[in-house]
Amino acid sequence: MLPKLDVLSSEQVEAIHEHSMKILEEVGLDFLYEPALEVFKANGQRVEGDRVYFDREFIEEQIKKAPSQFTLHARNPENDLVCGGDNIIFMPGYGVSFIYEADGTRRESVMEDYDNFVKLAGVSGNLHMTGGNIADPSDVPDEIRHLKMLYSSIKNSDKCFMGSASNRERAEDVIEMASILFGGREAIKEKPALICLINSITPLKFDDYMAGSLMAYAEAGQPVVIAALVMAGSTGPASIAGSLSLQNAEVLAGIALAQCVNPGTPVVYASSSAITDMKTGALSIGNPECALFTASCAQMGRHYGIPTRSGGGLTDSKVVDAQAGYESMMTLLNAGVTGINYVLHTAGILEGYMAMSYEKFVVDDEIAGMVLRYLKGIDFSEDAFAFDVIKKVGPGEHFLAQKHTRKYYPLELRDAELSDRLPYNNWAKEGLDTLQRANKQWQDVLATYEAPELDPAVDEALQKFMEKRIAELTK
Amino acid sequence: MVTQDEINARAKAAVMDFDDELVEEICEEALEAKIDIVSLIQDGLTAGMNEVGDQFEQGTLFLPHVIAASEAMSAGVAVLTPALEAEGGSVKSKGTIVIGTIEGDIHSIGKDIVLTMLKIAGFKVVDLGRDVAIATYVDAVKEHKPLIVGSSALMTTTMVLQMQIEEQLKEAGIRDTVLTMVGGAPVTQDWADKIGSDIYAENATDAVVKCNAAAE
Repeated sequence: MLPKLDVLSSEQVEAIHEHSMKILEEVGLDFLYEPALEVFKANGQRVEGDRVYFDREFIEEQIKKAPSQFTLHARNPENDLVCGGDNIIFMPGYGVSFIYEADGTRRESVMEDYDNFVKLAGVSGNLHMTGGNIADPSDVPDEIRHLKMLYSSIKNSDKCFMGSASNRERAEDVIEMASILFGGREAIKEKPALICLINSITPLKFDDYMAGSLMAYAEAGQPVVIAALVMAGSTGPASIAGSLSLQNAEVLAGIALAQCVNPGTPVVYASSSAITDMKTGALSIGNPECALFTASCAQMGRHYGIPTRSGGGLTDSKVVDAQAGYESMMTLLNAGVTGINYVLHTAGILEGYMAMSYEKFVVDDEIAGMVLRYLKGIDFSEDAFAFDVIKKVGPGEHFLAQKHTRKYYPLELRDAELSDRLPYNNWAKEGLDTLQRANKQWQDVLATYEAPELDPAVDEALQKFMEKRIAELTK
Repeated sequence: MVTQDEINARAKAAVMDFDDELVEEICEEALEAKIDIVSLIQDGLTAGMNEVGDQFEQGTLFLPHVIAASEAMSAGVAVLTPALEAEGGSVKSKGTIVIGTIEGDIHSIGKDIVLTMLKIAGFKVVDLGRDVAIATYVDAVKEHKPLIVGSSALMTTTMVLQMQIEEQLKEAGIRDTVLTMVGGAPVTQDWADKIGSDIYAENATDAVVKCNAAAE
């Protein structure tokens, strides 16, 4: 692995922490969820209305309770993931409502899209888990979407997945489904298998949906990604230092809640912060400022000894074009080199978290493969220096026929999966550009896809639970 | 006593294992056992080479495998050639191709890949090496009477010399006896047309396709 790139000095890390402590002590945060206020009160924090004012000693104490790494379990143990340390976890985009098609049109996403992205991520050699909430299934009633999505995640892949966090009741439903899959509540408490994304409402608020879900996951001993999305210039100061201190305060408050509810709850310190485009007021994510937020997040997490999360292949483009490519490469490579552990939105995102694109997914999958290769660094073993081979070949000859070459090219020279490396005439026979090749590639993958086997008894139990809940929720 | 089929199978496997030393051993054993050399080359060594070539076409093996298999095969052929010539035998080929990197240019890897692929395709290939003087091409055409003479150039400064091959072949009165082929990074179909070369090969696969067409 490569050494991690730091963009902050230790004094700057300390300065962010100090300013966040000041925000937590003097400004406080609103929690629009009574049980959360009760928890903070019980732990000696000053609560006035919805506002919680924190002691810095309390916050610092809670941070220490969070583990520096944890294992997320998959139904196929080969796909278990360690979150933290030098590890990096890639997964699809999260939370979109639209599909942008290769021809530039858009439509609402449906259940089949969700299934498809789980399958594509499940098969990918570069994505480590299938994520969650990838694309909102508009053809499924809102009350039962969380059930259908989680079932798809379980059924269509045997990699790790995320659960719903849209409110406490839905969180309880998906935790129950994970329990059925892994053999009970105690089993998943011991071996966490479900991870969810909790977002603060910047500036300085947690609503009842998010605080409720956070507490449900923490009680069940399941990991929680606690994220702030500051839009520098609108929901936070235009100065990045100010927005960083704001983001840090929100994330630390969320982590403190999780640790109070259940000390030792695995948490991920997360940033999806970026900037406000001052021409339109819209969120803009495919830019160097977003990359700086990500880099700072990685470093603050290292400082606190907590795993970190950021976005991955981020772009503001509406189509899979050069802008989509150059923005996504910058943000994903940056997440990798700065040491982010959990990379949400690695693949598929277009227009600032608004849409998924199948073709963009394939492009990002290739970028992910390139980044993983880059992070692996260079083999410096004596054998890799190949002195004997260099001596044997000598001046003017080539290394193509050497056994050493056959041994090392698969280890050190990554083969492109999407990029075209053909000479002009070979390329010109079909003349396909990246978008066209990506369009063909995802269709080929889905055409040959086979679902991993799921124990029929477990499948039946899951379906029974879903039927019961669907009847209750839609009556 | 070892049979023809056994030794052919072992030679084929050794080529597919890229094991040049083992191929040499097998060929020496074959000579002692008075095995049919032509069959060994065609049904043993070449069969292994073809298998590697097929897997390369399918994308399951890569260039280092093809080149290494070819070198293993060449090692065996080198052991067998004196005996083969002594008994006046010959191995079927689609034709002879003379090939070299042109005068002033020492970039020979591309040329080496092309000649390997042409060998696999069943041509007898005469390698003139690198930095080959124009007169050497002309002499080689006189000596080997090839179907095709190919020159490769990596630089625009050496590419211009490909024109001289055309001219000197004409001066020697043998331009009509042979097809000329040009290749190399700066070379294009337009350049081939301009200097009057018969074949432009963009890369090794292209060279094989076009030489096969010329041999028919």
